[in-house]
Amino acid sequence: MTQPNSHIAPNETAAQHAAFEARIERGEKIEAGDWMPAEYRRQLIRMISQHAHSEVVGMLPEGEWIASAPTLKRKTILMAKVQDEAGHGQYLYHAAETLGATREGMIDALLTRRAKYSSIFNYPTTSWADVGMIGWLVDGAAIKNQTMLAGASYGPYSRAMVRICSEETFHHKQGKEMIVAYAVGTPAQREMAQDALNRWWWPALMMLGPHDADSPNTGIMSKWGVKLKTNDEVRQEFINEHAPELLEAGLTIPDPDLHQDEQGNWKHGPIDWTEFWAVIKGERGLGAERLATRQAAHDDGAWVREALQAYTDRQRAVAAD
Amino acid sequence: MTQPHPDTQWPRWEIFKQDNEKRPYQGVGSVHAGDPDHALLTARNVFVRRPAAVSLWAVREDDILNATPEEVGTHPEVLDTPGEADTYHVGIKKTHKRSMTFVDLVESVEATGPGDALRQAREQHADALAWLVFPDSAIARTDDDPGTVESWFAPAKEKTYKQQQYYGVIGKHVGELKREGRMPRRATEEPHAGDHKVYDHPHDASPAELKTHEVQKPEVQK
Repeated sequence: MTQPNSHIAPNETAAQHAAFEARIERGEKIEAGDWMPAEYRRQLIRMISQHAHSEVVGMLPEGEWIASAPTLKRKTILMAKVQDEAGHGQYLYHAAETLGATREGMIDALLTRRAKYSSIFNYPTTSWADVGMIGWLVDGAAIKNQTMLAGASYGPYSRAMVRICSEETFHHKQGKEMIVAYAVGTPAQREMAQDALNRWWWPALMMLGPHDADSPNTGIMSKWGVKLKTNDEVRQEFINEHAPELLEAGLTIPDPDLHQDEQGNWKHGPIDWTEFWAVIKGERGLGAERLATRQAAHDDGAWVREALQAYTDRQRAVAAD
Repeated sequence: MTQPHPDTQWPRWEIFKQDNEKRPYQGVGSVHAGDPDHALLTARNVFVRRPAAVSLWAVREDDILNATPEEVGTHPEVLDTPGEADTYHVGIKKTHKRSMTFVDLVESVEATGPGDALRQAREQHADALAWLVFPDSAIARTDDDPGTVESWFAPAKEKTYKQQQYYGVIGKHVGELKREGRMPRRATEEPHAGDHKVYDHPHDASPAELKTHEVQKPEVQK
């Protein structure tokens, strides 16, 4: 058990912390210029930059399918969705910058593996239906988490989340619509939808994080109004919404122990966390490929950055004349 | 904290977006860019993927002075920040409610410098949660002739597939679950901010709204 004052840095006082916590208690948003504990700043930079990296890496599994989309309608939808993820990364990097992190520092941390991103994006997308299932389940789970974070105590993070939730809803809806269409479609379409569910159900549950008993970062960020619900609460909310809808669509959820308890909550069977940790550690999944793709994109974009810089320098030189 | 890193990134620009001619400009976020045109183009890609907008302003971070009451309390010298006399635009943050925007630009004042503009903003909006000021001369603006507005901002309007209303819904369960008290509520219930629709998650839609969108016919694909 940690000491109650263990989050007070040497140059901070208990009175400063008390005033800060009172503000959060009153429902006030903390803005960039306000006093905040160093630990609050550190944890937020960790969370927000990790979240930004997830949006950016999240473009890759689905982006692979743009060229293979079966119709023009599906293709335009998917392009808009992937473009949104890039935009969401921008919102979040900017929110982290208000805390003193630099863009280059964050990108460097991602590319050198010092920063994490959600391991859900290290799973392969092996069929077209994965695009729909990711929208329905992965974005559905992300929205549950992001809806909570939209109420977070740090103003810039909260505002980015409100914007992201609003746009992410389209991602969720297009995925659900696609899978429901396939679930009542041809036998081949049904089979494709079921196969996608078989592969994405457990990763979607796991992406909401370890069980509360095993989640080291929840305590203080919950007290400081950033994490307003626990991982298990968000997971329960996710299953309660999605399980009945998947069943109504005629699909089979790959969990023989899934059942409703006497309160009506859908309870899942035991989760195989060894897979989760293996994917996080890169022993399984496409972590190396994803980072190599990001690195290549970063390198391939160097000439654009250089050209823009040259133009900027030229403009400045002209203005100085 | 990320490791110390050489900061060679382009300057940061705060972006103010006007949704229609009757709305105030609102602070929506920021972009990095080397010059004003670059800032505005990037702002369109980042903040106008959805309708609506009719105009964007980009202002370099260095040209903006903002402060919360707490900051003015601990650093009163911010009210003496020197600079050029100009017309200054004043933005204020009015509420702690859930919102997409930091400030609304509410007026402009004649000031001898940013400190003076901040002082005036503080006097006129004593109960604001944050004040923000910048000189008119610092604004990079999108062109407001109809052709430019059309080419910059109209395309997003036709992309209706980005709107959740475009899709069929099988979400009646959520409404049922909520009524039965089985969906955990948000830890902090906050009403929407003013007249600005900030949050259109389908689960917040009324059952009547959900019913209007039937599940679409399955499409036939090879």
